Amino acid sequence: MVSYEKILTKNMDTPGYMGTLPEYRATGGYTAFEKALKMPPAEIIDIVKKSGLRGRGGAGFPTGVKWSFIPKTHVGQRYLCCNADESEPGTFKDRQLIERDPHQMLEGIGIASYAIGASVAYIYIRGEFDLGAKIIESAIQEAYQAKFFGKNLLGSGFNLEVILHRGAGAYICGEETALLESIEGKRGKPRTKPPFPAVHGLYQAPTVVNNVETLANVPYIINRGAEWYASIGTPKSPGTRIFSVSGHVKRPGNYEVPLGITLREMIYTCAGGIRNDKALKAIIPGGASAAFLTPAHLDTPMDFEAIAQIGSMLGSGGVTVMDEETCMVQAATNLLEFFYHESCGKCTPCREGSSWILQVLHRIERGTGRASDLDLLETLCRRIEGVTVCAFGDAEVAPVLSTLKHFKEEYVAHIEGRGCPFQPNVELVMAH
Amino acid sequence: MAGFVHLTIDGQGIEVESGTPLIEAAKQAGAEIAHFCYHPKLKPDANCRMCLVEIEKMPKLQTSCSTPAAEGMVVHTASNRVKQAQEGVMSFLLGNHPLDCPECDQGGECQLQDFAHQHSPTLSPFSEEKRVFDKEYFGPLIEKEMNRCVSCLRCVRYCDEVLDVNALGSIDRGTMTQIGGFAHHELDCEFCGGCIQICPVGALTSRLSMYDYRPWQVKKTETICNYCGDGCELTLESINNTVVRTSSKLGTGRNTGDLCVRGFFGYGAIGHKDRLTRPMIRRGNHRLQITWKGAVESAVAALKKIVETHGPGSVGGVISAHCTNEEIYLFQKLLRQGIGTPHVDSSTRYGYVNAITGLHKVFGTTRLARYEDVVGADVLLVFAGEMTETNPIAALKVKEAVRKHNATLIAVDAYTKQSDPFRSHLPRLAKYHLQILQGAESLAIVGLTKALLENPVLSEGDFSPLFLEQVTKSVALFSFEEIHAATGISQEAFSQAAAAYAGATRGVLIFGRAITGSEEGYINVVRLAHLAILAKQVGRPGTGILALASENNAYGAIAMGGLPEYLPGFSPANGAGYTLPGMLDACERGEIKALYLVGENPLRSLPQKNVQAALSKLDLLICQDLFLSETAAIAHVVFPAVSFAEKEGRFTNQEGEVQRVRKAVEPVGNAKTDLEIFSMMGAAIASSSAAGVPAVSFDYANSEAVWREIMATVPDGFHTDSAEAVSQHVAVYAQQAIELAPPVVISKRRNPDEFDLQVGQALFHSGRMSTYASGLTTLLSSAIVLMHPSDSDRMGVEEGEQVTLRAGSGTVCLPVKTSLKVQPGTLFVPEHFSLDVKRLLPLAFDPTTGVPYSTRGRVTVSKQKIS
Repeated sequence: MVSYEKILTKNMDTPGYMGTLPEYRATGGYTAFEKALKMPPAEIIDIVKKSGLRGRGGAGFPTGVKWSFIPKTHVGQRYLCCNADESEPGTFKDRQLIERDPHQMLEGIGIASYAIGASVAYIYIRGEFDLGAKIIESAIQEAYQAKFFGKNLLGSGFNLEVILHRGAGAYICGEETALLESIEGKRGKPRTKPPFPAVHGLYQAPTVVNNVETLANVPYIINRGAEWYASIGTPKSPGTRIFSVSGHVKRPGNYEVPLGITLREMIYTCAGGIRNDKALKAIIPGGASAAFLTPAHLDTPMDFEAIAQIGSMLGSGGVTVMDEETCMVQAATNLLEFFYHESCGKCTPCREGSSWILQVLHRIERGTGRASDLDLLETLCRRIEGVTVCAFGDAEVAPVLSTLKHFKEEYVAHIEGRGCPFQPNVELVMAH
Repeated sequence: MAGFVHLTIDGQGIEVESGTPLIEAAKQAGAEIAHFCYHPKLKPDANCRMCLVEIEKMPKLQTSCSTPAAEGMVVHTASNRVKQAQEGVMSFLLGNHPLDCPECDQGGECQLQDFAHQHSPTLSPFSEEKRVFDKEYFGPLIEKEMNRCVSCLRCVRYCDEVLDVNALGSIDRGTMTQIGGFAHHELDCEFCGGCIQICPVGALTSRLSMYDYRPWQVKKTETICNYCGDGCELTLESINNTVVRTSSKLGTGRNTGDLCVRGFFGYGAIGHKDRLTRPMIRRGNHRLQITWKGAVESAVAALKKIVETHGPGSVGGVISAHCTNEEIYLFQKLLRQGIGTPHVDSSTRYGYVNAITGLHKVFGTTRLARYEDVVGADVLLVFAGEMTETNPIAALKVKEAVRKHNATLIAVDAYTKQSDPFRSHLPRLAKYHLQILQGAESLAIVGLTKALLENPVLSEGDFSPLFLEQVTKSVALFSFEEIHAATGISQEAFSQAAAAYAGATRGVLIFGRAITGSEEGYINVVRLAHLAILAKQVGRPGTGILALASENNAYGAIAMGGLPEYLPGFSPANGAGYTLPGMLDACERGEIKALYLVGENPLRSLPQKNVQAALSKLDLLICQDLFLSETAAIAHVVFPAVSFAEKEGRFTNQEGEVQRVRKAVEPVGNAKTDLEIFSMMGAAIASSSAAGVPAVSFDYANSEAVWREIMATVPDGFHTDSAEAVSQHVAVYAQQAIELAPPVVISKRRNPDEFDLQVGQALFHSGRMSTYASGLTTLLSSAIVLMHPSDSDRMGVEEGEQVTLRAGSGTVCLPVKTSLKVQPGTLFVPEHFSLDVKRLLPLAFDPTTGVPYSTRGRVTVSKQKIS
């Protein structure tokens, strides 16, 4: 097994490492922040741009470019929001970063805030991350005490207040504009874009929203340089990425690897292959919102472009592996139950479409499906795709469209066989 | 061309103002784009996804409601892609919809119905189980049928963005999303009905008119509301001579299509069963119904006898400012010319007259600000914390200025900054809230003026030395410490507010009944006028003063000469006429023998005065009214008049805007319009006029004929609103000697049992008329006393528990309703129900205008003893 240099998870291998400030400092922590505070903000943005760092939350947007969208002429408040609302099914990387080494993220927040001129940074953490919230809270206190947060940081004149905000359990609040609404105390619903947060964000002020992992990368880029970072991974997808591998593999878990290793290497080398050495049937490469892939795609490199090219996405880095005994209709149904439950209800196609699709899937799974249902599912998905307020609409149709594309025969078997060939007496309810 | 962009929509080149949403630009290009959540009054939310269009060079379809037109855009609103997307959205909207159009009140005016016909095939692929919500009543007046809801949130957004009430929100998620009040509580809001009107489907409908009509069956009449001086255009919808609903049209009228609770739910008074339908005369203790001919002859015979014996000056008349311009003009003509008496007054005497006479004196005109000025102002100085209740639509203009255009609001009133739940409240929006002690308006104005004069930058200017000297002298009597003690406002707060007002580019001053209907009303109007002059916020376009009127034709009543001070067109009368209180005194002295009251009920409005004794001395009391009022009940002759819905004419709103009133339904029974009655009376008087009294013609075919005469005789009947004219008049005024009496200092409350009581208008009512509207009495049907929770807690009084209010020997028991907006130590009682509470209040008269003041007093409060 090839071993790769770990960046974000390197400290976690040290026995007894708890991620406290003194421990983090001992590994060189906050030296990047100290360095950054002596640099002009524009230079930092430039370095991050040059490093090629791309967002680790899902869309993979170049981070430095996002920062540069903050209007330079804007006078007044700006905000940084750290998106720690990790809720994508099959994704658990941020949780580990938060619980095991929180200061990397905090240092990244410090540098990013300085770079964009934000004097207030929010960390929006998923409500269920109770332990994570406690850890971040105490890490923030440590950083305040060490004068990394607060007023006139390291004599630079830069002030930074960092506030932890706990979510209340809605998946949609991980969508960046819904996250902003939620921080503002409103119902978590995505906003219509444009305007984008960089122009009208939190409390209508210019705002950057970055994922935990994205921000955690920043200190290393500042310390070791853009060229070093760009040399890892592929030219268009540089750096390492923490993939959360789950499902029917021998060693599920988080794996930090350079972008661009193949799915095969991830599943068979890192995660040890399929449980009980069964055959692989399907892979979700980037969280529940990503389209299903098949064993035919195993040699695709895990970078943003290559995965997009085969009709899926790297998304949140949640790799879910399914073996030959998995019912694809049930897998799609399972995900649709999630999306149906989490649709915020703001826009028509997603609100009405999710329940409709789920009812059709239930019907097929129950054995009362009709031959026309496959066309109906396809039609419903096409009616949602690309017309919703946020990316949720595209996400919820991905499992259906991709299973229809790659595993159509299983749907046909359900309909013609009047039931699920894998689990005939499956119980299905529209839980809300 | 700056400010405009050029784009192509469906192949057609078009030029629109930059920033125009594509959906509006398309409309201009002749393409109607289907939509639900878009509404011109609201910020785009782009949630329904119906208005998707294809824009060249953009990969995804875009919502045309949220995409502004841009230079060079090429837009397709009906391409195959667009059609497919719209069909898709429509299939989702119809999937769970119950398709219960035959029993839905929205049927026939439903956007879903209309757009479904255009964008949906007749067959739906939806064969699943529909999601079903139970039908709910959303408070007493609104039915909520969530199965019909398209979740466009127009109701929620209107309630927030326009009303600033926030009574509605969406609850639950996904397909179970529904509109709800806070935490499933029953709706308790301002009930403006805006959510019903703005709902594109039948999800929210009025319980008041449920199943009463089909939209295509109603006759629609556009007219002007008669519940306050805002002058809102509304549409009365009637079937078989009965008004079944009111509505308003988007963007039309001074209200631009918004209504308040009274406008939307208050139509029930029009056809009320207690309406007077036949003339009556009194014989002994009995009232007899007689013919119009008999009644008029009897009244005129008695009048003639009185005039012959005691002279024309023994006759007086008072008319309600609810009447039309034509009617008020005719009434004063009847009295002044037909009978020859100078004693004419109107209900503007209860306070509004202070505003008009005061402003007229200082500015030479009384049309000083329009709603456009309010909306466009960058600073608003508002002495009307009650405005959201008394003049809800004018208050919307203030909210719009503050919330949409970031105007600075300076609010001076005796309310707290806190509002009650789901009520709008101007102090809450104020950047500077000067929360004064009750009754401290005079000193607050003095404080602001003093602060302005002491600000070296702001007091510099081209004021006449005499004016400056006089105003300075008038405010020099009190130190800021004394003013602070009397008002509760510090010098610093006055200075900040004065600096903000004077620093305005377009400052507008608004005042209402708290000024005009309370002690020192006239002089406070003059003081405010001086303040506006000193701050240079008058006489320039965009600046000005708006005096709020509680009656729909208060301005018109004065412009038409319905008062002893002015003849029609604001020309000064000879000053021999009595005001309303003066007439009552003259009745008591035996000087006035005959009184003609039109829509006036002094027994009710002045309960502290011995009106009963005064009226009982009359030889002739004529009452002309819709209902048998307390005063009509003792009248010798009663003429049944008609409501605003049954007549033609014109009202003039508080901006001085003359607007057409149109007949929606035929008069009830044998009731006649005031105009017809005055014509009959005039004709009868003329035909029997004694030698020496010139015969005056009262032969008018209709209200138009009267209006033509008004326009011919007083072409300048309504003041100009030209800024130059104001500046010129002010220049002359500033060279004159001004008499300004020192302000009165209100004594402090002595002990915690003592409360300052304010009696006034409640949102859900207007005068007495509204108490006949079932929609409004559903919301409030009897008197209550509003008390701050800190007081009720201190006294151990529960919500709804009776307390006894005591002043002197008078007592009144009322149930308590707690309210966060009344200041601790103060009480508020709506004026519409109990006469008794007014008896607790002292009665005073304005030394200049004779306006009777009886809305404030001091009472002690005790918990009701259970006997």
